[in-house]
Amino acid sequence: MTSTAKRARRQPAPKQATLAKIFHWLNIIGLLLMITSGLQIYNANPVFGGRGGWSFPDLFLLGGGLANGRHWHFAAMWLFSLNLLGLGIYIFTTQRWKQRFVSSGDLKALRVSQNQKRKTYSWHRLVYTAIIPILLLAVLSGIGMYKPAQFPWIVGMFGSWQALRIVHFITVPTVAVFTLVHSLLGLKVGGQRLLRSIFW
Amino acid sequence: MHQITGQPGSLPRRRFLQLSGLSGIGLLLGGCGSTLFAEKVGETFEPLNQRLEILLFKPQTPVPEFSPSAIEPDALLVNTFGETPRLNPATFRLIIDGEVNNPLTISMVELRQMPLTSMIIRHVCVEGWAAVVQWGGVRLPDLMRLVQPKNSARYVYFESADGYSESWDLASALHPQTLMAYQKNGQPLPVENGAPLRLASPIKLGYKQSKWVTRITLVNELMPSRGYWEDRGYDWYAGL
Repeated sequence: MTSTAKRARRQPAPKQATLAKIFHWLNIIGLLLMITSGLQIYNANPVFGGRGGWSFPDLFLLGGGLANGRHWHFAAMWLFSLNLLGLGIYIFTTQRWKQRFVSSGDLKALRVSQNQKRKTYSWHRLVYTAIIPILLLAVLSGIGMYKPAQFPWIVGMFGSWQALRIVHFITVPTVAVFTLVHSLLGLKVGGQRLLRSIFW
Repeated sequence: MHQITGQPGSLPRRRFLQLSGLSGIGLLLGGCGSTLFAEKVGETFEPLNQRLEILLFKPQTPVPEFSPSAIEPDALLVNTFGETPRLNPATFRLIIDGEVNNPLTISMVELRQMPLTSMIIRHVCVEGWAAVVQWGGVRLPDLMRLVQPKNSARYVYFESADGYSESWDLASALHPQTLMAYQKNGQPLPVENGAPLRLASPIKLGYKQSKWVTRITLVNELMPSRGYWEDRGYDWYAGL
């Protein structure tokens, strides 16, 4: 019975809810489509510098031109935003937001804990919680830019059209940095097994 | 606390494979094959998005306007697909015909005698930039009252002196802030902005707002050509 004994010594593999895995996958696909088509739109008139401003190389673009970039962006917006909405309904109806996201306990640990593992874990939870308002802000600023005549108050919230464009665009570098930090923290907290658990 | 089981030694290769898988998808999507696919995506989602746009659009509600101090004179860029036509305002005539009871040919002098409407609105370009502009001119719904559209009229075509064309849904053409403008920022409309007469509106993207308009034709159905940029893959409704 060596195998049983061996299994007993090992900690059980981390398990993720199937819905959590689906939301995570759809969010990755949705973000990938939104970012690549968004950069295609960006290049038509760079937010920084306007005509003649620095533009993104083809490698990062989706659609091959402004018209198709827009088609992709306004198709993938449904996947991206409805997935976020679904996630929101899910974490509130199941009360997951209480256990699975950053808590006052995590914030306290970050301030006072001497346990480095505990602190890393809290950082991990803080980072993946913090990306949610950033994604919601991308949706809000996107609606403001898509329908400024129907939702002038959204443009008003951001002060100016340029500020609205900057906030919407900032999602891209933020998500890029987030992806890196989130992956590294996930690895540090739970290694390959945790990483695998959210994907498969 | 959840699992804390670090296996630091085993991470690089698997992670590398995962990352290369993701960037592989990116390359695939960014490749030349995606242009064809993007057109399919557009054909699939444009009708859905158009329904949403029409649902959001309030046909008779004016869009809030700006104060004169908000005008951005330098922000309005000039986008033209070809030559800039030089029209003589003295001999210029606007034709309105098609599915109307009283087809009309009207001169600039007569247009200037009609009530002048001024609005300070945000002009939004499909490229992403925007400019707060003052436009002055005749409300298109006022002109429509003169020609009396037939009940069957559903779309409006705008023909320009440079060969540009556009088509609009009738409801948007009848919006109270859809102007045939001959003034910009308190001055006579400059020729590069469409003099003597152009479309101006806060409810449509810039490419819908034809310059140098010479003819307005009401129709029952859209023709094979729906507009210069629409024929090149851009969305037709283009509402804001």
